[in-house]
Amino acid sequence: MNDPVLADEIINIAEDDSTIGPDSKLVKRYVEDVATHFFKPLTRQWANPPIRFFNLKSQWEQETAMLSSVTEIAMHSSYQQIIGMGPSVIPLILNEMTIKPGHWFWALKSITGEDPVQSKYRGRIKEMTKAWIQWGEEQNYLP
Amino acid sequence: MGGGTKLPAMSESEIKKTFPGLEVGNYTITSPSTPEYNCIAWAAGDIGEWWWPDANNQYYWPDEVPREESLGAFKDLFEKRGYQKCETGDYEEGYQKIAIYVDAKNKPTHVSKQLSSEIWTSKLGQIEDIEHPFQGLDSPTYGSVAVIMKRFKQC
Repeated sequence: MNDPVLADEIINIAEDDSTIGPDSKLVKRYVEDVATHFFKPLTRQWANPPIRFFNLKSQWEQETAMLSSVTEIAMHSSYQQIIGMGPSVIPLILNEMTIKPGHWFWALKSITGEDPVQSKYRGRIKEMTKAWIQWGEEQNYLP
Repeated sequence: MGGGTKLPAMSESEIKKTFPGLEVGNYTITSPSTPEYNCIAWAAGDIGEWWWPDANNQYYWPDEVPREESLGAFKDLFEKRGYQKCETGDYEEGYQKIAIYVDAKNKPTHVSKQLSSEIWTSKLGQIEDIEHPFQGLDSPTYGSVAVIMKRFKQC
């Protein structure tokens, strides 16, 4: 190994965790850097709605997990940006709801102008989620 | 609740980061993480609904209480459940107490419920229930306790 900087880097990485070899760690770090640089640019996010959606969703979930106020949850800037993406995110949201219930009701109502949840189920997250998934299937947003 | 469920480490680190008054030893996580009910529902004894007076009319809020995000409406909510305003969070035998938190704009953010002289219980947003000290959730996220209310304990 002729590159002293690279050698130092390998040593530093190796000191972090003895269970993975230094070469593997270096490769892993480079892959992570490449992935980060690939997905981060806003131009690429704009060109790829799913990437933008998942970035925004991740930030929104992390920053609103402790909140009770639905208004605060829905007014979060990432959530508002998701709403701003328009109908292209409907299948992404509905698919997300089939995996994990969440407070997507405000966004769906804002984007679609619909609300398939019966008033007796207001606040009942499972039933609200079920109503929207059924709506998504009927509207061919979900398989 | 009670019982100290085993939970992901992320919740614990997030909890400590959000609430500076909580530290190892003065709070306990007492339920799994769930988005199915929130702190208002938990304080009111309901674990099946998310209570909030949202303008979109999508979440549960009792019909007899004004559907508005104000301290007055939250006080009204608990008054209609037999609570009356009181001065302190000190434990009083035979009484159940709740504490309403507001942010800097006086908007309600959270409700805690007293369990014993030093222990209060809270549902934290979409994550877990915890047991914690009175005012242990004072923070930039929840603000601080604005109103304490009590009622006779119900069997």
